[in-house]
Amino acid sequence: MASARGAIERTLAEIGHVLEQSLFAETLSRQPGLLQALDPRVKIVGLLALLVSVSVSRNLWVIGGLYGVALALAVVSRLPVGAFVRRVWLVLPFFTGMVALPALFMTPGPTLWSLPFDWVITRTGALTALFLLTRVGTSVSFALLLIWTTPWNTLLKALSVLRVPDGFILILAMTYRYIALLLGIVDDMFLSRKSRVVGKLSTADERRLLAASAGALLGRSLQLSTEVYLAMQSRGYRGRPRTLDTFAMTARDWAWSFGLVALAAVAMVVGQVGG
Amino acid sequence: MQTIRNLTRRHWRLLSVYGLGAAWLATTAMHIPDGYLSPITAIILYALVIPFWYRGLQALRTKVNARSIPMIALMAAFSFIIMMFNVPLPGGTTGHAVGATLAAILLGPEIGGLAVSIALIIQALFFGDGGITAIGANCFNMGVVMPYVAWWVYQAIGGTAPLAANRRVVAAAIAGWVAMTAGALITAVEFGVQPMFFTAADGTPLYAPYPLDVAIPAMIIPHMLVASVIEGAVTALVFSYLQRSNQAALQLNGAPATSATQTGPLSYRWLWIGLAVMAIATPLGLLAPGTAWGEWGSDEFADLGLSYVPTGLARLESVWGAPMADYEIGFLGNASAGYVLSALLGIAVVAGLVWLLTAALARRQHPAS
Amino acid sequence: MAEPVFALQNVDFAYDSGQMALQDVSLSICPGERIVVLGSNGSGKSTLLKLLDGLYYPTGGELKAFGRALTEAAFADDAFNFAFRRRVGLVFQDTDVQLFNASVFDEVAFAPLQLDLPRADVTARVEAAMRDLRIERLRDRAPHRLSGGEKRRVALASVLSLGPEVWLLDEPTTGLDPRSQSWLVDFICAQGAAGRTVVTATHDLTIVDTIADRVLVFGEDHRLAAAGTPAEILSNSELLLACNLTHEHWHRHPEKPDGHRHLHYHGAPHDHGHERTG
Ligand SMILES: Nc1ncnc2c1ncn2[C@@H]1O[C@H](COP(=O)(O)OP(=O)(O)OP(=O)(O)O)[C@@H](O)[C@H]1O
Ligand SMILES: [Mg+2]
Repeated sequence: MASARGAIERTLAEIGHVLEQSLFAETLSRQPGLLQALDPRVKIVGLLALLVSVSVSRNLWVIGGLYGVALALAVVSRLPVGAFVRRVWLVLPFFTGMVALPALFMTPGPTLWSLPFDWVITRTGALTALFLLTRVGTSVSFALLLIWTTPWNTLLKALSVLRVPDGFILILAMTYRYIALLLGIVDDMFLSRKSRVVGKLSTADERRLLAASAGALLGRSLQLSTEVYLAMQSRGYRGRPRTLDTFAMTARDWAWSFGLVALAAVAMVVGQVGG
Repeated sequence: MQTIRNLTRRHWRLLSVYGLGAAWLATTAMHIPDGYLSPITAIILYALVIPFWYRGLQALRTKVNARSIPMIALMAAFSFIIMMFNVPLPGGTTGHAVGATLAAILLGPEIGGLAVSIALIIQALFFGDGGITAIGANCFNMGVVMPYVAWWVYQAIGGTAPLAANRRVVAAAIAGWVAMTAGALITAVEFGVQPMFFTAADGTPLYAPYPLDVAIPAMIIPHMLVASVIEGAVTALVFSYLQRSNQAALQLNGAPATSATQTGPLSYRWLWIGLAVMAIATPLGLLAPGTAWGEWGSDEFADLGLSYVPTGLARLESVWGAPMADYEIGFLGNASAGYVLSALLGIAVVAGLVWLLTAALARRQHPAS
Repeated sequence: MAEPVFALQNVDFAYDSGQMALQDVSLSICPGERIVVLGSNGSGKSTLLKLLDGLYYPTGGELKAFGRALTEAAFADDAFNFAFRRRVGLVFQDTDVQLFNASVFDEVAFAPLQLDLPRADVTARVEAAMRDLRIERLRDRAPHRLSGGEKRRVALASVLSLGPEVWLLDEPTTGLDPRSQSWLVDFICAQGAAGRTVVTATHDLTIVDTIADRVLVFGEDHRLAAAGTPAEILSNSELLLACNLTHEHWHRHPEKPDGHRHLHYHGAPHDHGHERTG
């Protein structure tokens, strides 16, 4: 894991990655496609219902089937299917795969496969690992469907369908908006510091730079929060947040919300049958 | 005695299997994805975390009033960024801090925890980082347990020292370490109860597969060695930077710099209560009527009890098949007791260290007393 | 003469940190007047605008708007607060502060929503403001994905949808390209022509004579150094130099390869036969 890249470079790379990812999602969500065209409230309710049905399923086939549904929705929404599959299944082995690996050997159960050096994979172990991997992979896929087909500000407003209060929605909106700003500020801080240093920073220097950046960022955040409050006040804000959405349910939206929820309900019932 | 020796050996083996994965996990944040926790666990954790959000919003309203919305939004954005900072570790690797300790020390546990929770919600909803059904769990672990533990420890050790005192830097560091370890412990307990209650008819664990005795050491040890150290270090570094250049930021939590009214003993009491809660909460799962736990754990340990052979796993299946074999129940008792003992011992060691450090610092600051 | 929009009597203002920002300022601004506030960095322009917008209250002296003193107590009265916010709009110097919503549409809708207008009216106002500033195509964009000039337009639209009769503009030309700048000048002139009061803080001397009936100059001591017509102020090079609004320096003219020393402000007419850009 030792790498030539220092902590600063990695942080910069991660910031770049986050910005890229959010731009990617934003671009995708504005392209034509089935899910993109649906009312965001339908998507939230429908995809959450499917997510829950993945979560409660005791049957691998049902989870597999639900992954199929996710793939089909990605295809009809004209999402880049390669990226959709890769994003889930290339990352998963590193995290969940590593977690699941020992379970293959450690879960007591009938032998499925004997390996050299007396290592034994049990049937139960294989099943439990499969459950974990497919469940996580399918859940992430449904979350991605939501994120990739809904612009974040639309998604936010649609949260009101889950009875999230206006004030909380405004907080989430402002947080997201200022994350973008602060990321830019950190980026500039690190880049300007790096440009003044020849070669690699020492670890101690890096630590000092990180602490100083975090401290400076806190100062800037506090200052922004005061100023933003003034800006809100100036435009008539008196502590009662309001949002305006322009959502309108069409017959198609109703049909899809019924369809997705019904599908989730069926999956939930069938999923209770073990297998 | 035989059992205990084998138990230790068994744990070493488990840890070597886990070493790589766990060390990797530990340097990342402990965000639980969807699929690790059963829906019931997820719902319980949502239910647990909501009162704390409410409390956080109340605190926000009384402390900063109408300004609350931009204030919490900017602090949540700040928490989000801090979670992205890579901190250099010896050996050329880097790791992440959660930043919950820093948030708690700066804003108090109620508001700080709320800021961290909002950052976590944004990560889950807009970046697919951490599960959506697991939002309650992640917010409980990192937005409730961590900030409150951090706050207690920081208050206990920091005491009434002036804001610029070195003692506060130490307090911040220890608070970070303890808070992260506590967060990892709670996360491990959440994982560990899954195979106790949520299995298929044939006993296949449906969610996180490892029982408490595996999940806890596998989470705790690497965290204590890596992630908790990072959390402590980040908190202390930023804290000491703010001491030098922005003391006003350290007074946001409302507590005046050197309040004479705040007495040491009260804070200590909270620390002890906190640690006691941790001590009780950890092995609680064992005392629960966990048949599933018995199944799994006893088998593993039974395996050890009979001088361990790797192929034994399969062979033991037949032993396992014998319902209620006498030694199983006996063994289950032993394993649980050993586990409870080690958890208590660990907490005692931590508490002792904290106490010693506090005492030493107190002596240095008031040589007369 | 009509009642002044703003009347300041010996106003002082210091920040909590103790930093002095305005000292002993007395002035009044009449309805329909177009004012430019000049001053170097840190002289107190932004602070003055925030005081005029009732966001800060004087630490000394008295500030009246529409005949009523602007104090914390006055703003505690919800009816007054509501009426005042409706009449006065401030465009902040930092667009990142001004644009705090998730999308351009939300940003422009924020002020009308706070006015408790019916939904249809809010939408109508938003659409009109976006049309006027030609930002309809930005409607669903997030503020952090806008260019500097686009952010300015959205910031203006977010106040325009409020329909204020007094505009307070804090350095609105910063970061604008020449075309947007001249568009902005037209915008200010149009507001003035519609009888609205416009107070603009700026360093940009080139636009002053177009957008001002009267100029207020603040010195580095945070005091009002001078007030007068644009012609009076702009011809007073000593004053401008003293207030750090121009600088003495060497510069070269392409047609005159020999450098020569002179005093000027950029883009303004001076007797070297440059083309005037303002
Ligand atoms: N929030 C604040 N807290 C403390 N001091 C402040 C604050 N804002 C401004 N100041 C100080 O008040 C003085 C006036 O600042 P102000 O922002 O009004 O200047 P300005 O004329 O708008 O400058 P610029 O041209 O750079 O925008 C400066 O000395 C500044 O440092
Ligand atoms: Mg200014």
